[in-house]
Amino acid sequence: MDLLEVKNVKKSFDELNVLKDISLSVAEGEVVSILGPSGSGKSTFLRCISMLETIDGGSMSYCGKTAVKEENGKPVYVSKRELTDIKHTFGLVFQNFNLFPHYSVLKNITDAPINVLRQSKDEAMKTANELLKKMGLADKGGYYPYQLSGGQQQRVAIARALAMKPKMLFFDEPTSALDPELTAEILKVLRELASEKMTMLIVTHEIDFARSVSNKVIFMDGGVIVEQGRPEDVIDNPSNDRTRAFLKKLEA
Amino acid sequence: MLIRKTVPALASAAVMILSLSFPLIQAAAEQKTFTVGFDAEFPPYGYKDESGEYVGFDLSLAQEVCNRRGWELKKVPIDWNSKDMELKTGSIDCIWNGFTMNGRENDYTWSTPYVDNSQVVIVKADSDINELADLSGKTVAVQADSSALAAFTGEDAEPENIELAESFKSLQQVGDYNSAFMNLESGAVNAICMDIGVANYELEARGGKFVMLDEHVSSEQYGVGFLKGNTELRDEVQTTLLEMLDDGTFNEIAADWGLEDSVCLNHADKLTDESSKAEKSLGEKLAVICKELVKGVGASLAIFLLTLLFSLPLGLIISMGRMSKIKPLSWLVKLYISVVRGTPLMLQLLVVFFGPYYLFGIQTSAHYRFYAVIIGFTLNYAAYFAEIYRSGIQAVPKGQYEACEILGYSKSQTFFKIVMPQMFKNIIPSITNEVITLVKDTSLAFAISYAEMFTLAKQVAASEATILPLFIAGVFYYIFNAVVAFAMDHIEKKMNYFR
Repeated sequence: MDLLEVKNVKKSFDELNVLKDISLSVAEGEVVSILGPSGSGKSTFLRCISMLETIDGGSMSYCGKTAVKEENGKPVYVSKRELTDIKHTFGLVFQNFNLFPHYSVLKNITDAPINVLRQSKDEAMKTANELLKKMGLADKGGYYPYQLSGGQQQRVAIARALAMKPKMLFFDEPTSALDPELTAEILKVLRELASEKMTMLIVTHEIDFARSVSNKVIFMDGGVIVEQGRPEDVIDNPSNDRTRAFLKKLEA
Repeated sequence: MLIRKTVPALASAAVMILSLSFPLIQAAAEQKTFTVGFDAEFPPYGYKDESGEYVGFDLSLAQEVCNRRGWELKKVPIDWNSKDMELKTGSIDCIWNGFTMNGRENDYTWSTPYVDNSQVVIVKADSDINELADLSGKTVAVQADSSALAAFTGEDAEPENIELAESFKSLQQVGDYNSAFMNLESGAVNAICMDIGVANYELEARGGKFVMLDEHVSSEQYGVGFLKGNTELRDEVQTTLLEMLDDGTFNEIAADWGLEDSVCLNHADKLTDESSKAEKSLGEKLAVICKELVKGVGASLAIFLLTLLFSLPLGLIISMGRMSKIKPLSWLVKLYISVVRGTPLMLQLLVVFFGPYYLFGIQTSAHYRFYAVIIGFTLNYAAYFAEIYRSGIQAVPKGQYEACEILGYSKSQTFFKIVMPQMFKNIIPSITNEVITLVKDTSLAFAISYAEMFTLAKQVAASEATILPLFIAGVFYYIFNAVVAFAMDHIEKKMNYFR
């Protein structure tokens, strides 16, 4: 089953067409990497499917439930109540973590499950501790975000997203704010999640990581998907000139 | 004929030239200035007329004295409460302004009395107060450190007057007679007690809205007050005044001001220089000052605490309105904030206090004075806090809101759980600034004569003829603020658990 199905998505800011016509589907257990130069629209696309931005055209559905459908050429969002349910099907990990600075690590992870999903405190704490263990942060539950390194903060952010038990996870350049050593920490976690068949959509600049982990790689430029397919095809044998130029620059 | 006519003319011309040139010659040497301090709101003795000139009976007398002595007259309007400081620092040479001698005999070097005056009671024309006995249970206003106040509470007050004052509900001190009449008109006080000369002038100027009781409270005399010990200058002025009495000029000037029935200058009165009473010791003075100030400390604290209690939450609501997406609401709030921040707090207090009567005709009660202080301060500080909240809210990164949205928090959860604690940390330094300013601003309640500490300090400074109370008040504000700064520092440290 496709967990995410996006058709003909368009988005513009004022006169600028940032997304021209994006269609994409992500199957359960699939890991999809989105590559592309800055300004190609990949982050905007991720924000659109995370519903932090509204789209100007096209349709979107999550786990078979329609969130936006196109009527008379205009996108129509379903009711707020339905959207609330749909939003629980995915989580988002930000480039700069966006942890709550005034909450401890444990509270960052448990607060939303308790107050949004109405889990019991015990249940939320149990899940949180398991997640922290998995992230290698079992002893950091009482720390505040500022006491952690960037890599540790991002792992907490991933744990916070996972605690909401989403069907899929979106990552918006999760390692761009980190140095190479800390980047490795995060990629290790992502690999682990991939091996557990977590469905993930990752905007990244890490070509090697994309090649080794993804089932599918998408190359975006100028608001459109230029090329998509298996990583060995798109990354190692790109058929499009723009893809080739971009990859060449990264290698240099 | 010709000669007879010419000689006196020549003679008088010579006299004129002499008398004109004499002061001029003096001026060339070093013309002496004679600086008269007066309350510019005390007609007909000294006030500002329609053309903006300082005029009055006393100022006319002073001018005549200067003319005769070849001095240059300087008219300096002073704050009545600060008159002793003005005199002591030498910024004025004398107080000449319907200045009551009775009860102050030993505090100044006096001329002989030149006006005999009485204290009378003014009420509204439709009032049910007809005699002094009717004042029982009523609120009566007097000017701070006026002879009316001295008549009721002074050390030399008549027992019958003290008894009368004790029957009042309260004796309210106001800064000037204009605000006294505003208080009376708006119902904040039931009667005003003041000098008969001033009362006659005010009654005439204000039309038929007020009446004077037939019964008088006490009688008293006016003199010119000099710094204690300055007998030299006093003697010069006294001599010239008596000359003016002898050639009829004095009575002419009195007639000009409608005071011919009140003046009493004569040769028989003796100058009194010897102090008959010992000065109060410093210890006694301190005791009196502290006793008075302590009364005001509670009032200052009450203003401070109640203002914070109401304005901190109100500010949050106002900042919401300011950031509202409903345009008319946000415009309205913007206007409110701009008016509050763009006008003096003192003026706002006056508007809150007198507004209900002068704008809507609502009679206010004596209690309203305190409410007006709290309402005025709260409305003012809430506007400042609102802007501080807004800056604190806008400093919370957008990513925090987005994280909340992704996690599914509701709008109110987002605000109260995530945004507000971070906002609070952001704004503590600005809040500390405002709170410290508030401590000092409580003194502005004097604008509507609310008896907080600074108002009392000024009154005691006037009645005890020392600036000590102002210093003690300063020390109090400093200590108050040290406590506030300490508390805010503690809160700031507590909020350091996150960054």
